[in-house]
Amino acid sequence: MSVISLRLKDRELKKIEELSKREHKDKSTVARELLEYGWDYIMLRSYKGGKLSLSGLAEKLGMSVSETIDLLSDFGTEAPIGYDDYLKGFKAFEK
Amino acid sequence: MVIIFDSSTLILLAKIDILRDVTKEFKVIIPNKVKDECTKKDLFDSKIILSLLKEGLIEAKKVGATGTINKLCKDFSLHLGEAEALYLAMDEKCLLAVDDGPTMKTCRVLNVRFLTAIHFLIKLVKIGKMDKQMAMAKLEKLSFYGRYNRRIVEDALNRLEGGI
Repeated sequence: MSVISLRLKDRELKKIEELSKREHKDKSTVARELLEYGWDYIMLRSYKGGKLSLSGLAEKLGMSVSETIDLLSDFGTEAPIGYDDYLKGFKAFEK
Repeated sequence: MVIIFDSSTLILLAKIDILRDVTKEFKVIIPNKVKDECTKKDLFDSKIILSLLKEGLIEAKKVGATGTINKLCKDFSLHLGEAEALYLAMDEKCLLAVDDGPTMKTCRVLNVRFLTAIHFLIKLVKIGKMDKQMAMAKLEKLSFYGRYNRRIVEDALNRLEGGI
């Protein structure tokens, strides 16, 4: 593991300390976990905003596409399919 | 009818256990990259997909055109599997089965016809390959994994209840 130093605001440090106490983990572990959760959140938001594809999201989260679909289902993240696209799908099938 | 599949739709149909029925009615082709994406972990859906590949009900194809694929990835925020599937659908002038947002957007721009997992479920009932009761149960599962919006699920339900 690498070591870096960074400046934290008081309220950020407070959050780390609070989680560290609540979960009985050292502050470094809590900080690393928060970083991971933050990363996942940002990637999920990028997916929701259409900036990341499903396979792209899977890669960023270090999961398979199948596991990523499960995660999105658990979170109830709505699929980016419009009603118009859905209707067009039937026409495409008939041609 | 030949249909090119992206990982998203292939996995969704495997998750609700109707992929085998679909492969019996349509010629299913996937690019090698999609095959890799769908089978890299030992999961329920990957086992189904591997088995169908082994039985020859799904065909995996090598896609060249690296330059075009990379351009699709760069221009439309796609991943390799999605770009390969899209390219194959354009190249073979086939329908693309996809449940991924950015890939669908790209289909609109490039005028590629596409459909999603929910269309296959309704089609199976329409051609008499699945009864309505079973289709309702599958729709419930598909709404969870596919995360379709309420309007789409209600419409699908109406189509199933109303005899399509």
